Amino acid sequence: MGPKVFEILEPGLGTTLQDRGRPGWRRFGVPPGGAMDDHAAHWANRLLDNSPDAPVVEFLLQGAKLRVLAETWIAVTGADAEASVPTWRAVRSYEDDVLQFPANRSGVWVYLAVESGFESPRWLGSASVYTRGRLGQPCASGSVLCRAASARFELPRGVAGRVVDWHERRNYESPPPLRVWRAPQWDLFSETDRELFFAQEWAISSQSDRVGYRLAGRPLKPAAAQILSEPVLVGSIQIPPDGQPIVTMRDGPTVGGYPKLGLVEAADVSWLSQCRPGVKVRFQLLP
Amino acid sequence: MNWVAYGPNALLFRFAEQVSGQALSRQRSIVTDLERHPPAGLVEVVPAFTAMLLVFDPKIVPKPTHAAEELLKRFEAAGQGKLPATAVKEIPVRYDGEDLKAILKGKGMTVEKLCELHCAPVYKVYMLGFSPGFPYLGDLDPRLHTPRLASPRAKVRAGSVAIGGEHTGIYTVDSPGGWNIIGHTPLKIFDPTRGEPNGPDEAMFWLKPGDRVKFVRVD
Repeated sequence: MGPKVFEILEPGLGTTLQDRGRPGWRRFGVPPGGAMDDHAAHWANRLLDNSPDAPVVEFLLQGAKLRVLAETWIAVTGADAEASVPTWRAVRSYEDDVLQFPANRSGVWVYLAVESGFESPRWLGSASVYTRGRLGQPCASGSVLCRAASARFELPRGVAGRVVDWHERRNYESPPPLRVWRAPQWDLFSETDRELFFAQEWAISSQSDRVGYRLAGRPLKPAAAQILSEPVLVGSIQIPPDGQPIVTMRDGPTVGGYPKLGLVEAADVSWLSQCRPGVKVRFQLLP
Repeated sequence: MNWVAYGPNALLFRFAEQVSGQALSRQRSIVTDLERHPPAGLVEVVPAFTAMLLVFDPKIVPKPTHAAEELLKRFEAAGQGKLPATAVKEIPVRYDGEDLKAILKGKGMTVEKLCELHCAPVYKVYMLGFSPGFPYLGDLDPRLHTPRLASPRAKVRAGSVAIGGEHTGIYTVDSPGGWNIIGHTPLKIFDPTRGEPNGPDEAMFWLKPGDRVKFVRVD
């Protein structure tokens, strides 16, 4: 066991360990999982020279509170939850500091990395907690997190601090148009419906989670209500009978029977994941 | 057989028109062929009833569509091998499901008749999906076909044996679900704690595609 670094005082709305997920297990019905916003999670690790596969803590919106158990380097990225430490930079934290995220100002998912990465068991090759599938458990009050016992982080000699460049930081309140590839049932949709999808702004619904993000707008009408269940990729834009799209996210079902209009480009799924309920998104068709 | 691109890194092949034992044999032949001679850059294969997803590593295969026609020919040549004659696995079921009464009433059937019809066939596992290790079993007697619930339940217990349309299956974890629950089994179809430490991860999954199962009534 590596050194204990944090005690969870309050888990807030949802706190889990995540890494880059477990690709390759879909044929057993296990979704890939992993950090919802892989862009922010990646930067948290990168600030501390961690492996890109190192587990990070993912917080949903707000409310989490942690006590620091031992002096260590940390980095907080992702959603703005009025963190008690500076964000998007490497920060030294000290025993008995309390790290908290009291209120959500923008974005959805906050990431916390620790030097050398959090220690965690792995299931099917990944530390990513997948609650419904009973692979790992969310953090609860009193949970203690350890960091891996490998090499310590040091700022390079002569460097006073390390921050993420402004142009890499994102304004989660105004996402760019999300790029979309055609999905297998593209042809089941009329020209009018395809235009309706790309012409309008869709609002993120409050019924959105690690499984799927629902979009609200003027409904679409596919030519068939159901298809024979077939494999589904993360980012798939599924159209259920009510015509309001559901985008499959990282813990979403591995197969599905709703027609799929498109697939959100993998690099833009992280943008979508940080859109709070009510935020408007547009989509743009890729060739 | 045909194929369609599913985003920039994946291809979806359709190897059959409809769900059938033949389609399953074909699916197994293709999977076996891919396991023996994996194409460069193939990172994931997801077999389903009549479609199969192949995902490629974009660093190795930047344009999977260029390889699609060749793969299609290869899959057609893989033919329809015989399914390996694996032992039939027995699943004990207590027929006391939440939707049992409604189904019996709707079909004007006795519980004895329903059990007889549900326990008679040797079912094949056509695919795993929806949740970890959830088996889609085909070959359900047409007299038992039942449309899914109009509005899914928020929580279905693990071990619930259910009918969804033309298929029967077993919920493997507590999850929302829209299938009609006819009974429960104590068997753990998916168990993340099963298997030896450092043993094969597949031990978590009690059933695999191509397996054969039979339901046995218990009280």
